[in-house]
Amino acid sequence: MILKYELPKNTEKLIALKDNEKIYYAVPIDIDENGRWTDDSFLVVTTGRVCVIRNNSLTEYDIPDFDRAYAEPGIGGGLLTLRKGDETCVLAHYSSKHLARYAYIARGINILISGRYEEVISTEYERTCPKCGRAIPGTKTCPHCTGTGGFLSVFMKLVRSYKRGFILAFILMILAAVTTLLNPEIQKRLINDVLKGNGDMKTALIFLGMMFFLSVAIVIVNVAKSNATARLGSTIAADLRAQLFDKYQKLPLSFINDRRPGELLNRITQDTRFISDFMADVFCNLFAVFFIFIWDVIFMMILNLKLALLTFILIPIVSAVIFTFRKTISRIFHLQYKKNDDVASDLQDVISGMRTVKSYGREKDESEKFKTVSGSFAIVQKKNERFWGMFDFLISFLMGMGLVIVVYFGGLDVLGDKMSAGELYQFITYTLLMFQYVGWLGRLPRELSRLTSSLERIYDVLAQTAEEETGEEKDIDIKGEITFDHATFGYKSYQPVLEDINAVIKPGEMIGIVGASGTGKSTLINLLMRLYETDDGRILVDGCDMKDISRKSYHSQLGVVLQETFLFSGTILDNIRFSKPDASEEEIIRAAKLANAHDFITALPDGYNTYVGEKGYTLSGGERQRIAIARAILPDPRILILDEATASLDTESEFMIQKALERLTRGKTTFAIAHRLSTLKNADRIMVIDGHRIAEIGTHRELLDKKGIYYNLFTAQMS
Amino acid sequence: MSENAVNIFEKKAEEMTAMNIISPSDTFTLTAGGTVMLDHEGTRYNRVKIVRLFPFSDADRYLSVRDHDDSDREIGIIEDLELMNKESRDVIRHQLDLCYFTPVINKIMNIKDEYGFAYFHVMTDKGECRFAINMGSNAVTKLSDTRLIIMDIDENRFEIRDVEALSQKEKRMLDLFL
Repeated sequence: MILKYELPKNTEKLIALKDNEKIYYAVPIDIDENGRWTDDSFLVVTTGRVCVIRNNSLTEYDIPDFDRAYAEPGIGGGLLTLRKGDETCVLAHYSSKHLARYAYIARGINILISGRYEEVISTEYERTCPKCGRAIPGTKTCPHCTGTGGFLSVFMKLVRSYKRGFILAFILMILAAVTTLLNPEIQKRLINDVLKGNGDMKTALIFLGMMFFLSVAIVIVNVAKSNATARLGSTIAADLRAQLFDKYQKLPLSFINDRRPGELLNRITQDTRFISDFMADVFCNLFAVFFIFIWDVIFMMILNLKLALLTFILIPIVSAVIFTFRKTISRIFHLQYKKNDDVASDLQDVISGMRTVKSYGREKDESEKFKTVSGSFAIVQKKNERFWGMFDFLISFLMGMGLVIVVYFGGLDVLGDKMSAGELYQFITYTLLMFQYVGWLGRLPRELSRLTSSLERIYDVLAQTAEEETGEEKDIDIKGEITFDHATFGYKSYQPVLEDINAVIKPGEMIGIVGASGTGKSTLINLLMRLYETDDGRILVDGCDMKDISRKSYHSQLGVVLQETFLFSGTILDNIRFSKPDASEEEIIRAAKLANAHDFITALPDGYNTYVGEKGYTLSGGERQRIAIARAILPDPRILILDEATASLDTESEFMIQKALERLTRGKTTFAIAHRLSTLKNADRIMVIDGHRIAEIGTHRELLDKKGIYYNLFTAQMS
Repeated sequence: MSENAVNIFEKKAEEMTAMNIISPSDTFTLTAGGTVMLDHEGTRYNRVKIVRLFPFSDADRYLSVRDHDDSDREIGIIEDLELMNKESRDVIRHQLDLCYFTPVINKIMNIKDEYGFAYFHVMTDKGECRFAINMGSNAVTKLSDTRLIIMDIDENRFEIRDVEALSQKEKRMLDLFL
């Protein structure tokens, strides 16, 4: 993300840099003081000043005069403020376009305020190309400007790895074209030489035989061609899917979180399917159609130049009609699709909310609402079907009119002996062939652009650089000392979730983490699980930076039970074994017993082989949680993370599991998040997270004596 | 001593459920720094934040006034902006305009689609502008049959108050997104 824009000359003059002063950041201000768009204002941060330039006039703020800078997000935009004591100064308003940018600027100003001179650098991508103004589809550089997104180059890259399949498809396409074009020629001969030219039965049969073989050949070649291209398409799609999936697994979680889950799913399912569809429907005809079209035109001109030119005049007319109608069609079908969507989502809403609907006695109103939605869908559908019927008729009519013209003028020529009857027949067949492909060719640009964007989206993911391990990471036997050293992290650059976390946790210590929802407890745990990396600062394990420990080694010594337990489709056995694939049955039973899961598993008809997951046996929340606990403790981890691990259990099970956990956590570094403070009574120390920071840390006793947040929470829960 | 803490929570619960009304006589003033200051029932709040409770259905009524310095605690609710005195009203209006940046599209000059993005060139009440939306996502939200919110790739919001008021040509351009 650009934090230092090129400034206009006169703006630069206004700032008038002093000696030893340099520009750190320069960004546009796109909203003026009255809330209107503007494009001539800038905010510039130098070594000692923040300058706001509007209408060619400069307002300066001396950095040492202020305590802190804030980039405050609003709705559809945000504002940058500087604060000194109680006083706040609003420097600039900006639209959402610069939301992230100003967060970096605020961070940068704060560094300068603190007397350091580091420059903040953003690794985030721009969303609009600064050069051409086009939207960048989530890639690092603009595919249009760098030229890598050119349809041909991407497509050729794809083709190269499937050379054989493409060559076969190409040969079949040419064959298909040749056989299609040959047929009218033979028909002409039949008419001219046999029917009109006193031929005998024998020659007639020869021609008929040739026509028969040609027809069979056309069918065979076309089937083979469709087969070859479909196979090619599905192979390519399957390969791309596998590559994409592999990449998703390797990419950092932040990449996944930055994008909507649907979008990523679509790239795997829809974009690859589109490519295979394209190969099967469009590509397989692409060269054949061009080939046929060109020769078709040439043959027509050879046969009768005047007639050919006359027919060609019809082409623009027919294509114009098809084009306008197609636009309308895509519009009305889009509408129908949307209405259909409305019906489906309304249905889904009501059905999944049936309990609520019934309990408020709103069945009638919902029925009425649905009737309206369904009714308007029916109207649109009816209209569209009617239109559709007319469209086909109209196109046939137009083509028929074209034929009438050809037959009329061609007929005159035949009567005037300028053309033979067979040639006229041949000409008509070519005309029909041409009309058939005009529509197809008109659809091509759209299909190509869709293919390009699908390919682009896929290559965008494939081109991402995943953090591969460098090979220098160590495997270590974790003792369990964890050090947070100025750890700072936020999912979005402009919203830090954890700021400057500092703490040293001794090996084997149990740390209880408390705090209100949304303060960053789970985020802290995400960092410990290495799902994300800190933006600033470090987390050390046994004095070694977490980034220098190999993932495999670290994760094999980590046990995790999360608030929301996720069980994969599979058996209970598979699910427990997930954390240690080579665990013996005995180990699994022992883990299940420790997690207080053994008894309920035994009561299931299929025991440990009971199939769970989306389509399987429905377990209660508590049962799922116990399986998750068994999974976490199976590998006997050195570090245990419990995020509300016993929250959805009944009191008795919770008590039992707490007892079991007590034994388990002994000697293991444990982090436990809990809302119910009673579950933390065994914790060696309690960490209270508030306002993105560690607000309090200490033993239960110490924190009670402190009479702070923990004291208030504790007394409120105990009373 | 635990009584004390319980009392704190009782008080908090009370505060949470209370509905304070900002009376039309309370004054809002713009500070030199560009923030809004409120004098309410004898207390001065250095910096307040004004939040629309019904930004789409009732933009000028029920505005929540929050104390920026006390982690955005609600000070009270303005029931109707029209009833405030003129000076306060202007200050609040100005502030809302700046903090709810949602340009209203009055005229569509052009919409062009290319590679999955649609590029809009429009005239809004905040001036002329160009923006892009992602065609694959739900960039267009229907507030009613005729009222739309369009979210561009930067998450800026644009509003079309009444689709029917647009010309035939503009409507046709917009049709793809309805």
